[in-house]
Amino acid sequence: MILGEVVAQQIERCAGLPVERRFQLGGTLMAHQAMQAGEIDVYPEYTGTALLTVLKESPRGMTAADVRQRVRTVYRERYGMEWLDPLGFQNTFAMAVPGSLARMQGWRTLSDAASSQFAFRLGVGYEFEQREDGLPGLRKVYPFQLNGAPRSMDLGLLYRAVEQGQVEMVAGNSTDGAIARMGLVVLEDDRGYFPPYEAAVLLRGDVSERHPRVRGCLEQLSGRLDEESMRTANEQVESGQHSAEDVAKRVLAQR
Amino acid sequence: MNLPWADIGRLTVEHLQLVGMAMSAALVVALPLGVWMSREARLRPWALGFANVMQTIPSLAMLGFLIPIAYIGGVGTRSAVVALVLYALLPILKNTLTGILQVDPAVRDSAIALGMTPRQLLWRVELPLAAPTILAGVHIATVTCIGTATIAAAIGAGGLGVLIFRGIATVNTELILAGAIPAALLSLVTDGVLSWVEHRLWRSSSPSSSADARAVAAERAESSSGRRTSLSS
Repeated sequence: MILGEVVAQQIERCAGLPVERRFQLGGTLMAHQAMQAGEIDVYPEYTGTALLTVLKESPRGMTAADVRQRVRTVYRERYGMEWLDPLGFQNTFAMAVPGSLARMQGWRTLSDAASSQFAFRLGVGYEFEQREDGLPGLRKVYPFQLNGAPRSMDLGLLYRAVEQGQVEMVAGNSTDGAIARMGLVVLEDDRGYFPPYEAAVLLRGDVSERHPRVRGCLEQLSGRLDEESMRTANEQVESGQHSAEDVAKRVLAQR
Repeated sequence: MNLPWADIGRLTVEHLQLVGMAMSAALVVALPLGVWMSREARLRPWALGFANVMQTIPSLAMLGFLIPIAYIGGVGTRSAVVALVLYALLPILKNTLTGILQVDPAVRDSAIALGMTPRQLLWRVELPLAAPTILAGVHIATVTCIGTATIAAAIGAGGLGVLIFRGIATVNTELILAGAIPAALLSLVTDGVLSWVEHRLWRSSSPSSSADARAVAAERAESSSGRRTSLSS
């Protein structure tokens, strides 16, 4: 939603075109169909999601650049849609630990955590528990110590549990507002275990021909949004203090 | 269909354990409290008010409140059971109180005139007459508890809710049903068993009656009260 609002405001501001907002279409497949039917002209998507959901291919073993290249080629040939350069953040799984603990132990990456003697109480959401590229392979790549079996539970309650010191590691999503709100630190996936889910703007080819300025305007966003700022933006909207429009305005002003 | 049968079996057992623990604890708390409320009118608005408020708290919020509470809450089975107990209080408390208060004052007076101690009055007159109403409350609480126990999975306490949560997370309807259908069957079977028990109880407390409608609890208790007192004297 925030991302959609950022894209919409950028087009309005920079290209001076009116934008009709069609948010919450109900997922990737719906948005993709709407795009094919010409109902929408632009929408932000994640490369990994497109590969998995639309192309039905597994991102297993692929780098972010591989995935980007693959969806770019297929989308251009098959659907006449263009992937612009990535916006600069990923929405993938993220292993988060309390900030104080990470600083005290000097952890920056998941390898750091794996090579320490610390035994984690780990909490995971059900998606992470079930997905092949989630919990099942995690500890083969990062053999960190566990204190008890991983707990599967609701992600919202999980963040509350880590805040209360009942777990020391959470498998969340890299743009979760709760990570910013609770001062958690995301340990870097330095061995590239998690699938690449880079956010980028998708544009229909005919739109880019009809309104040449739109493409240039949207490309100004490329590489400008990082995970930190998306987390903060999500947190501001989730906490109910600010509307999505205000937060998007702020995000655009910050760049 | 590729259903996780082993998981379904294991999680059904876990589910029943959660319900068993929660209902035992709820009975231990709510039955004596209900009796006490029948003696102590000042207690009623507080206890019933508390049980009512518990009903209005959404389950995820309730679990969220429980996480920080030492010895009662936390992550795992304990919080889940505590939440289920809090949800089960109202029907048991309310029906225990109603059942006892519905005993005909004339019956109570004659029992006292016969020289019964307060303890004898409770165990030999009031509780037997209130039993069908109390059981109806326990019945509602148990059947509801089986459904509500699916939220235990939200706090890492297992049960059939695990399959439902997994199904939601992976957009897999079969998996959702693999949790929801066994939970519904458990509810139905439990409902059947408790209805049968209630029916038997009705017959024993009122041989002329064959109706098992819970709605007529009050009249039944009264119509059989005279006979019951003469038996117990």
